Amino acid sequence: MSGLPPTTSVKRWFVTTNHKDVGILYTITALFFLLFGGVMALLIRLQLWDPTSQILSGLAYNEAVTAHGLIMVFWFLSPFAFGFANYFVPLQIGADDLAFPRLNALSYWLYLGSGLLLAVSFFQGGTLSAGWTIYAPLNVPMYTPSIGSTGAVLALAMFVTGTTASTVNFLTSIHHSRAEGMGIMDMPMFTWSMLATVWMMLFAFAALLAVGLILAADRVLGSVYFSATEGGSLLWGHLFWFFGHPEVYIVFFPALGVMLELFQTFSGRRLVGRKWVIISICLISVQSFLVWMHHMFLTTINLEIKTLMMATTIGISLPFDLVVFSLIYTLIKGRIQFTTPFLFAFGALLLFILGGITGVFLGAIVLDYEFRGTYWVVAHFHYVMFGGATALFGGAYYWFPKITGKMYDEFLGKLHFVVFFLGFNAVYFSMFLGWETPRRVFEYNPEFQIYHQFGTIGAFVLGLSFFIMFYNFAKSYVSGEPAGDNPWDYSRTAEWAVSSPPPLENWPNRPSYASGKLEFVKDYVPDGGPAMKTDDNGDVATDGGDSHSAHISEYPYWDKHASHASIWPFALSLALGVTLFGFSGFADAVTVELGETALQSDVVISNALYPIAIVAGMLGLLYTGVKWGLEDFYAPPSEFAERWPFNGVEKVKLGMWFFLASDVIVFGAFLSAAIFVRYNAGWMTWSPLTESLPGLINTFVLITSSFTVILALVAARRKSRQGLLATLGATILLGFTFMAIKLWEWNHEIFDRGVTISANAHGDPIQASIYYVTTGLHGIHVLLGLVIAIFLFVRAYQGHYLDDERPIEYFGLYWHFVDIVWVFIFPLFYLF
Amino acid sequence: MYHRQGSYKSRQTNMIDPVILQQGGDWRAQAEVFDEIFFVFLALGTLVGTIVVAYTLWNVYKYRDDGNRSDEEFDAPVVGELPTGQGGPKAKKLFLSFGLSAIVVISLVVYAYGLLLYVEQGPDTDGEGDIEIMVEGYQYGWDYEYPNGHTETGELIVPADQRIDLNITSRDVWHNFGSSDLRIKSDAIPGDYNENWFLVSSEDVEAQGGEATYRVECFELCGAGHSAMKGQVTVIPQDEWEEWYANTGNSSESASIQASGLEAAAQSGVSA
Repeated sequence: MSGLPPTTSVKRWFVTTNHKDVGILYTITALFFLLFGGVMALLIRLQLWDPTSQILSGLAYNEAVTAHGLIMVFWFLSPFAFGFANYFVPLQIGADDLAFPRLNALSYWLYLGSGLLLAVSFFQGGTLSAGWTIYAPLNVPMYTPSIGSTGAVLALAMFVTGTTASTVNFLTSIHHSRAEGMGIMDMPMFTWSMLATVWMMLFAFAALLAVGLILAADRVLGSVYFSATEGGSLLWGHLFWFFGHPEVYIVFFPALGVMLELFQTFSGRRLVGRKWVIISICLISVQSFLVWMHHMFLTTINLEIKTLMMATTIGISLPFDLVVFSLIYTLIKGRIQFTTPFLFAFGALLLFILGGITGVFLGAIVLDYEFRGTYWVVAHFHYVMFGGATALFGGAYYWFPKITGKMYDEFLGKLHFVVFFLGFNAVYFSMFLGWETPRRVFEYNPEFQIYHQFGTIGAFVLGLSFFIMFYNFAKSYVSGEPAGDNPWDYSRTAEWAVSSPPPLENWPNRPSYASGKLEFVKDYVPDGGPAMKTDDNGDVATDGGDSHSAHISEYPYWDKHASHASIWPFALSLALGVTLFGFSGFADAVTVELGETALQSDVVISNALYPIAIVAGMLGLLYTGVKWGLEDFYAPPSEFAERWPFNGVEKVKLGMWFFLASDVIVFGAFLSAAIFVRYNAGWMTWSPLTESLPGLINTFVLITSSFTVILALVAARRKSRQGLLATLGATILLGFTFMAIKLWEWNHEIFDRGVTISANAHGDPIQASIYYVTTGLHGIHVLLGLVIAIFLFVRAYQGHYLDDERPIEYFGLYWHFVDIVWVFIFPLFYLF
Repeated sequence: MYHRQGSYKSRQTNMIDPVILQQGGDWRAQAEVFDEIFFVFLALGTLVGTIVVAYTLWNVYKYRDDGNRSDEEFDAPVVGELPTGQGGPKAKKLFLSFGLSAIVVISLVVYAYGLLLYVEQGPDTDGEGDIEIMVEGYQYGWDYEYPNGHTETGELIVPADQRIDLNITSRDVWHNFGSSDLRIKSDAIPGDYNENWFLVSSEDVEAQGGEATYRVECFELCGAGHSAMKGQVTVIPQDEWEEWYANTGNSSESASIQASGLEAAAQSGVSA
């Protein structure tokens, strides 16, 4: 599959890997989820109309509240921003596409698949009803028993998987593909905001993935993390908010980036204190990981830590002050054009100022004590998160001409803004007035009914306003005026230098900022070699004409054209969706009755649908994974590019490092969970469940396999096929030895000692859960490594990797990482 | 029967005798502290917000593009330029505003922090008159256990002028025990024990006709009945309460419940 069908073909949208196509898919899907989440919001508002009579049952109301929060935060806000990021970050940095186009398509399909899984969960006995914060232990099956609850948790896990892929992709792209001459400080502000966003996402979403996997283990496999009274509830709180606070900025930063662009474009002024704004953005990104306990001021956290968190919270508001003042001062002495995009961006600033001021209230702990769990918090975070998203709608109007080539209707756009802004303040400001109402309560104090009724009217006005936008976009797409390449007077960034919409590979020639401004230069590409720069006359430049990084020459096929189509991202996502659908009903459909030994145990299947889905999905994953690996998909790195601070690092290796960094956080969260619970249970009251000898043997087995992987790389570099096969084979054998010992150990624990994932004959059940889940996660990593190793072995047998040994090297990185994790697991579970 | 009741009575009298607070009229209810801080924040927040928004709106109006402005001094950006920032007088103004806002925010929080220390500790009593109540949340209500082992469901009855110490936990999911009127709130977490206090003066009780009542609500989503999870705190004059409390002692609630509660509280103290 290499040719890309035209945009009018349905097939194109299933196979495309082009960043602009994927961006459009993201944007449209996100708007669909805006409607979905919006309907939930209107149900909530109807329920609040009268505190004495209701349209929804308590459980249904909780489902609506939960789905509204999850959908808006995860399936609307971030993906909407990522639609623009997909489309415009490569254009703004002068790249042809994102670093890994297939991975980008996969991210989208995982996003859509996870959203469908969430939608299906409504029909699996009701979706999750524990709130979008999913507090423990309400989140365990004892209190939320429906299959749909598990489905929603797995949908979230699938979403996060796609997000992680996207994060790695954007980090690699922005750090690896900036046009020549565009230093990191020269990037447009939208791209800067996205860079900060994805850096936060890399670590924050890894924590969410970890906590989601633990919850999935509780719900599907029967572990008892979050029902444990040894700190189970607080464990959720800490892990969730370690993700949850950066998430606020992850959602807000793309919108801030749009504001920073639009304030400049529609005032004709350049950003005031640009360097300091960038520094502020970086500071906020780091600080965002140091404030999470301010969401937990009313738990039993001690005063010293609360004080520290209060200080960091106030600290994080300061860089925001600077950014806000910079935005305001940028407008001064400008020529401000009140177009629709500017109105939305400016409205977003006003809303954010109000959200920020009310946030300072929450930073004072005494006030926070009373605001906790009330509509003050609800109003505040809507002003911040949805207020920020207001700028994203500005972005939609701003870039609509670029994406479609047509101009939107200015009158309808302004009408949309007015209705939107009035509706917004009606619904959310009324929440400040009735703030003493507890969150997620509909039988509230009738004193506040007037505010809630006002808010309900505002909510419908707000919802209605979007149909003006949909109508405007639909009408303009069909019959709008041609917009031309650059409809704005004072735009600066590179997306306005190409046609609307831009061509498939974005640029007429290679974009370069080497001269201080954007130019398109023509390179000379000799047969079978990397491109060379030319001078003004088209002759090959002699001075420094070859400024390639060394790794560029490792891409051997210079005459090959970049690929843009692959069906495997879609297929892989489908297979994962089916698998997770199967797991959602696993606990209900399958019961394991333990006998004396594994052979005497019985598996009772009450509903075959779910186990069949698991098996089919997993086979599909294996098949599509192999097809993915075998597909001839060519996505070369930018030849002449700014790559600070990763100059010498090859593209795929850089991506691998980013992925491993996020995996460090995943394991870090699992190990922190183990330590936190053990500390709460009384550290010294636990001793290892298992004997240390099998663990010790396994430690040696894994470390040995790390050496054999290194030897495999050496053999590949020496072009020794036999050596490569022998060392890879040895690695696979050692991996299986590890898994066999592990299996024996688990078998021994379960059948000889009575220690299962939810029961422990020798102590706290939670200790057994932690042991199985943590070593199990590591085991899955080993298993995944073995699948890849076998794939490499077969390919090596066919003669691959002798010219290009990079796949062996990158597999080695992963394998070493898995071994290092074991070095942390071994003492914690086998020695002490 | 009488004998037992008498023994409870004498114990209670001992508890109540030295109830005069050491600081006399110096203590403040959490509601008062909250109201003060809230007022200060609201006043300053409104002031700063109004100034910033008004200044912004005025400038946006002033520098609107009306097509009548000269091209001198206007350095319009062009597509493809490498971004640069603006320095000069505006940058100075930026840091001035930033510095001012930092001073406002930091002084506000330092001010509020002083009062936090008070709220954390509660008013200074000699401790003997304090009453410790175990509060246990469940789906969907509240149980209160008194020092003598008596339990009440839904309504907490306490005397005026005495410091009430709450020890809050949950027997199933995460709840949040809160009373907006009293401005007290605490997470009720299974396996965890959270402390809070309140004190209602006899003047307040008299002002409400000899019996002051306060709404209790759950402030953390706890399941299908979360909305209806209400309770009440009732404060009555000391002598009436004494009489009422004395009659609770002969109920069959055994001391073992109390013991287990205290033991659990002690454990939580160790782990916290």
